[in-house]
Amino acid sequence: MGGTALASYIVRRLLQTIPVILGVVILNFLLLQLAPGDLATVLAGEAGGAPKEYIDQLRQRFGQDQPVHVQLFNYLRNLLVLDLGYSFRQSAPVLELLLKRLGPTLLLMGTTLVVSLLIGVVMGLLAALWVKTWKDHLISVAAIIFYATPLFWIGLMLILVFSIKLDWLPTSGMEDVVAFNEGFARVVDIGRHLVLPTVTLSMFYLALYARLMRASMLEQRGLDYVTTARAKGLTERQIITRHVFRNALLPVVTMAGIQFGSLLGGSVVVESVFAWPGLGQLAYQSLFARDFNLLLGIFFLSACLVVIVNLVVDVIYVLLDPRIRVG
Amino acid sequence: MQMTPRGTFMRTTLRSIVLGTAVVAMTSAGTLAQKPGGTLVQITQPEPPNLAPYVSTAGPIGQVTAKIFDGLLEYDFNLKPQPGLAESFTVAPDGKTVTFKLRRGVTFHDGKPFTSADVQFTIMEALKKNHPRGIATFKEVTAVETPDEMTAIFKLANPAPYMMMALSGYESPMLPKHVYGAGDIKTHPNANNPIGTGPFKFVEWRRGEFVRLDKNPTYWRAGRPFLDRVVVRFIADASTRTAVLEKGEAHIAGFGAVPYNDVKKLATLPSVEVSTKGYEMMSPVVEMVINTKKAPFDNVKVRQAINYAVDRKFVIDNVWFGFGKAARGPISSNFEPSGLFGVGTDYAAADRIDRANKLLDEAGFPKKADGVRFEMVHDMTPYGEEWQRFGEATQQALAQVGIKATLRYEDVPKWLKRVYTDYDFDVTSNFLYNLADPVLGVHRSFHSDRIRKGTVFVNAAQWSSPETDALMDKATVEPDSAKRSVMYRELVAKVTEASPVVYVHELTFPTIINKQFKDLIDTPLGIYGNYANAHRQ
Repeated sequence: MGGTALASYIVRRLLQTIPVILGVVILNFLLLQLAPGDLATVLAGEAGGAPKEYIDQLRQRFGQDQPVHVQLFNYLRNLLVLDLGYSFRQSAPVLELLLKRLGPTLLLMGTTLVVSLLIGVVMGLLAALWVKTWKDHLISVAAIIFYATPLFWIGLMLILVFSIKLDWLPTSGMEDVVAFNEGFARVVDIGRHLVLPTVTLSMFYLALYARLMRASMLEQRGLDYVTTARAKGLTERQIITRHVFRNALLPVVTMAGIQFGSLLGGSVVVESVFAWPGLGQLAYQSLFARDFNLLLGIFFLSACLVVIVNLVVDVIYVLLDPRIRVG
Repeated sequence: MQMTPRGTFMRTTLRSIVLGTAVVAMTSAGTLAQKPGGTLVQITQPEPPNLAPYVSTAGPIGQVTAKIFDGLLEYDFNLKPQPGLAESFTVAPDGKTVTFKLRRGVTFHDGKPFTSADVQFTIMEALKKNHPRGIATFKEVTAVETPDEMTAIFKLANPAPYMMMALSGYESPMLPKHVYGAGDIKTHPNANNPIGTGPFKFVEWRRGEFVRLDKNPTYWRAGRPFLDRVVVRFIADASTRTAVLEKGEAHIAGFGAVPYNDVKKLATLPSVEVSTKGYEMMSPVVEMVINTKKAPFDNVKVRQAINYAVDRKFVIDNVWFGFGKAARGPISSNFEPSGLFGVGTDYAAADRIDRANKLLDEAGFPKKADGVRFEMVHDMTPYGEEWQRFGEATQQALAQVGIKATLRYEDVPKWLKRVYTDYDFDVTSNFLYNLADPVLGVHRSFHSDRIRKGTVFVNAAQWSSPETDALMDKATVEPDSAKRSVMYRELVAKVTEASPVVYVHELTFPTIINKQFKDLIDTPLGIYGNYANAHRQ
């Protein structure tokens, strides 16, 4: 397959996502209208009370005195030029708020994806090789325990053990706010802060990938092409690494792509436990403040992220399995 | 405070704080200097939405900005005004002119001098027009005159004694006119980059993480502040906040940032002390607001019966882990020293259950065969788990007198709309601040002009009477505090008699302080103070 074919495929796929994202935005906008209470009452509530004139003044400023369809139209028109609006609660443009949170979120999700895929795939592979031995049972039981334990509990226990009792790692946050390290020391510091949240969030997903990988390996090993390869005189090692492993990986990659969206959601819990300054926490706060501009911005950004990741997954398919064609 | 081991512990802590303050007073007068340096990490929960205390009074904002902005006045623990940016003030005999003499040589963090023009701008343009409480506080101010750079004269339409209690850096921050005067103050670019005259200047806010404040080297109080830096961290999870304080990664947290059951655990650590000082200008009172426009709650006997039914001691001991003091009326006992206080009907009387049953019989709600007189819904204020426990405790208490209460818990915007816009409730729990003067924090709950649909935290009970309205109107403009004191005694008696609101208890918040740091809580504003005197040991 030529590079130009791949490029034109990517462009076509990107164009196809525009109506999807537009639909997501409109649906979210309408859904949010159903939530009772509005930002003006929340702001007044936080202030411990405010005169009616103040609340009316706020509503007018937020454009909430307009009919819904006018508000929607204005929002979409601004979206065309990537103007995501202004968060009145946070007194800052939405885009600026989002971009500041995107980095930490991508960092945490990236490390989690890598760690959980690597460990999950290895665990699944080993379990499949040792199928029905005590080692396989051990791995499967561990995976089920990881899968079933609530994230916030794992997080708190890790803090208790590794931070408070052993004093190896910091409890929370993204960097040391007393030292304010710079340069390489800062990178090391952020790395140290990243360990516990990544481990916590990875636990759940690696269990998922391990189980999927194990099942997929076992399935592939029973297929005819394995018998053919064996008849050809290939060693077990060659069969596993060249054939079975690559094929078994496909469903895991598919799953990782689909799970990406839920990774965004799952990180809300981990972000709050570890005070990680990501998008999940921002979404959570803005929902309870009825900060709809900000919330819509977050939905928009996550929709874009999910679409892009799924495109990347499709491209990875092609690299993993040459039989799959783009087009 | 009850005579429990916890009670004894609290008293010891209080005593050590009082002693601590005495030592500072001596050393600051003497020659012994405090050791400079150090970074203090404060936990504030939740993260403030912005750093614009002149347009928003959301609690967390003040915990950060009170270190950046000064007020004209400061206050001592007896709520007596002390010099701040104003070195002195005089109130004219008719109460309609207040003259402030400003401090010379004060500069903002950008190096420009602080003058009377800044006072005029702050009061007339910023606070009187945009501050949620300032609109009421400065209602009577018609002009701020500036005969010279160091004199600001407030002209009032009517005397406003309460205004003198609202001039702290937390409540009425003095803003630089040359910064906030340019452009629309409501969406001002400096909303998240505050510039004041305070002991610490704003450096950076990384959202979701922290705000960093560094020492202001040109602060007007010589030798202050001692600390190099204050970092305010935001941690959404309560258990993590406890862990961070336990490990010593943060040094102070107040206002319920740490759950009451964790306070007990932290208090056993040798590195930590727990104080309940520093909430005297807030004075939160836990209450149950009764919808007096709705049957059967329009009947005063029913309202009184509900008031008698609530077991205040049980609630304080079991729901709030002993942090609280039974309320005797709408005004907190923190006002007792200033005289603006009164004691109402004693709803905690020993035979309260019998009285409640008798009142309900008289009101025409006899117990039916199943022991129930009538049913009602209790909307619990959505500010955390203890309110659900409070709901359950009162549910049991009301069942004792034959009222079957159903509990409802919604999120904040929905609850605000239900209670303050739709008036679609029977009874709701709540806690309101008395603030620094009854005019600011107390009148709003039962004055007729505060029955305002759509305005939050005002008179949701929708009860009022011409006599109580008249008393409040007189107390608002009475400059003589002895006369005000008489009016408030009468007001409290009348309000508790009519019982539109069940005043349950005065809430005391525990502040968790790392013992490495001293003199953090040195004003009645507590964590809303400026840490100018705080230092590391």
